[in-house]
Amino acid sequence: MSDTPNLDPFGLARGWMSQWEKLVNQHGTELLAKPEAAQAMQAMTGAAMQIQAASQEASAKLLAAANLPSRADFEALGARLGAIEATLSRIEQSLRAVAPDVTPPRPAIARTRKPPSQSPDT
Amino acid sequence: MATATAGSAPSPVERAIQRNLKGLGYLASSAPVLGASPKDVVLSRGPLRLYHYHPLTDEVYRVPVLLVMATTNRGYIFDMVPGQSLVEFLLLRGYDVFMADWEAPRAEDRGLGMKDYVETFVGGSIAEVQRLTGESDVSLVGYCMGGVLSVLWAGLNHAAGPKNLAVFTTPVDFRQMTLFQAWSDQRYFDVDRLVDTLGMAPAEMLLTAFDMLRPAGRISANFALLDNLWNDEFVKGHRMFDRWSSDMLPLAGEYFRETTKQLVWDNALMEGTMKVGGRPVELGKIAAPFLHVTAEHDHIVTTGASAPLIGLIGSQDKEQVVLKGGHVSLIAGPNAVKRMWPRLDAWLAEKSV
Repeated sequence: MSDTPNLDPFGLARGWMSQWEKLVNQHGTELLAKPEAAQAMQAMTGAAMQIQAASQEASAKLLAAANLPSRADFEALGARLGAIEATLSRIEQSLRAVAPDVTPPRPAIARTRKPPSQSPDT
Repeated sequence: MATATAGSAPSPVERAIQRNLKGLGYLASSAPVLGASPKDVVLSRGPLRLYHYHPLTDEVYRVPVLLVMATTNRGYIFDMVPGQSLVEFLLLRGYDVFMADWEAPRAEDRGLGMKDYVETFVGGSIAEVQRLTGESDVSLVGYCMGGVLSVLWAGLNHAAGPKNLAVFTTPVDFRQMTLFQAWSDQRYFDVDRLVDTLGMAPAEMLLTAFDMLRPAGRISANFALLDNLWNDEFVKGHRMFDRWSSDMLPLAGEYFRETTKQLVWDNALMEGTMKVGGRPVELGKIAAPFLHVTAEHDHIVTTGASAPLIGLIGSQDKEQVVLKGGHVSLIAGPNAVKRMWPRLDAWLAEKSV
């Protein structure tokens, strides 16, 4: 056994932290698996959703009063752009079916590789 | 420099000095650039981004590989930094690599459901890979929920392929994910209200749920960082994985609703009652060679949740491999470089000609 004093301040903390982590993970997950914990979590989520819905409604009213577009307006705009993109994609696919691709293709790579077990030099 | 060299570990005093010096550097420096392998975005639909990586060899295997990322996280876990990138590893081994990655769904994507993810996104990616390569055969490789989507697509389209199906840490028996089961208890968790109110499953909610699977995890990880500030490799790894694990994505509302109701509440995949867009998922009819790699210490998708999958797949040529590691260290980091990647290559190479 060495008589050299332990000069690493993290030496003790390392062992302590390892024990603490095991205990917290074990007991924490046992606690969190209980129905009461699930109920409490869902109550918090529900409250957060209510607050969010109320604040959305209030800010929509404020924006309408200031004659500014609301989040819902931007979402509607996004949805319309998405629909236009989808239509363009369909047109592109239809065109591809009747006309060759105009973009120069990446040089075709030989798809002839063999696994090491089948290579002639193995 | 006091980092360890062969046969001479730094003394506690040297470590303490380096911790203090490098602690300042850590706070001041920028995070490493992740997911930087050269690639083209070849398909972009809603939250889907399909990447085609530039080959690194003169010739590639005939069958292209399509990686399917989990829908809750970013795909750069497959492409961290040079030397720690599964994508780079596969490219150097001669594969033609594609990846179905995800962006955060936008407000107008709230209505995307399981059918969109399976048929439009995974199925659409396969079709695009086939078109770009001129090959009808594609190897499908999915991680976690990306594995679920891959298995669902294969179970719906067993006559069409894929050529090979490999999945990592893919849950099938959701009853065994006990904490997720408890938190989504139907008596308290109103998924309809959540989706109808918010339109999405918020990323913060998902991150909190994953964190609570190991309540002490974040604190002990930060302590380990402080303890190892003298070690450049440790710090680099910590930064990469910490950034990735915190970089979660929200889920489209309908997709989250269907996942909760069908997979978590009804355990439909395990029970054989899973339907996507009204069509039955028939895992027993999947005939493609199948590999399932799971992690011995996976605290997210536990062995109980993932192990039954192999028995449900109909393939004659099927294999389950349990490797050391956790849910993330199985696929990225030094453990993956040493264990999982060579295993995947050995399995896939013979089947890719």
